[in-house]
Amino acid sequence: MPARPVAPPAGGLGWANLGMDIVSVNRVRRLLAQYGERFFERMLTPGELADCRTSDGLDVLSLCGRIAAKEAAFKTLRVRGRFLPWPDIVVRRSDGGWPLVELRGAAADMAADSGITEITVSISHDVDYAVAVAAPIIAPTPSSHTS
Amino acid sequence: MADGLQQVKNWILERHPERQDIAPDLDLIENRLIDSLSFVEFVFLLEQESGVSIQMETLEVDAIRTLGAIERHFFATSGAEVAQA
Repeated sequence: MPARPVAPPAGGLGWANLGMDIVSVNRVRRLLAQYGERFFERMLTPGELADCRTSDGLDVLSLCGRIAAKEAAFKTLRVRGRFLPWPDIVVRRSDGGWPLVELRGAAADMAADSGITEITVSISHDVDYAVAVAAPIIAPTPSSHTS
Repeated sequence: MADGLQQVKNWILERHPERQDIAPDLDLIENRLIDSLSFVEFVFLLEQESGVSIQMETLEVDAIRTLGAIERHFFATSGAEVAQA
């Protein structure tokens, strides 16, 4: 097999490695039916679960959107050999409805290693699927300033 | 093959009916047999079959990259110690 091309690492001036993900509603509905809410407690924080809750229980489309957003955000970090640290990429609904990403713990460390200070995401869903796209915000470095 | 590992193999095959078998050294990640969402479910299954409590946050991909690695990490006689390493 020929050697694969080498992609640039996450971060770096002028680079914004996008992340995108799609999540099937059927798949998440099956997981919810099979395992109940405890399954998602390993992926979402209590605050995120509260954002997904309606008077009828957890809203599956909202769950799918959160999951897609976490995965999309993680993809911007371009980390090898690690799985998505689900509870460390927190996606909350802001006043106004826009999703906000907060990086904690391992995810914050991974981002810092790449010079990424924030990640911005957008979520959309319609009937059967939720999708999310994410872009990193790169920290300015001393060498990137011009006088 | 240990019963628990066979259950793990069956679980993967049920989700990928196009496959007849899974070689012990087949890369489950590269071949997209486990993705981020199924990983969480996979951890549930591994805990159930191996009796080992798994910290998802510290689990290395290589520990579940192949059935051989899964056997070494979770179904060896001292699996509980290895899995936490």
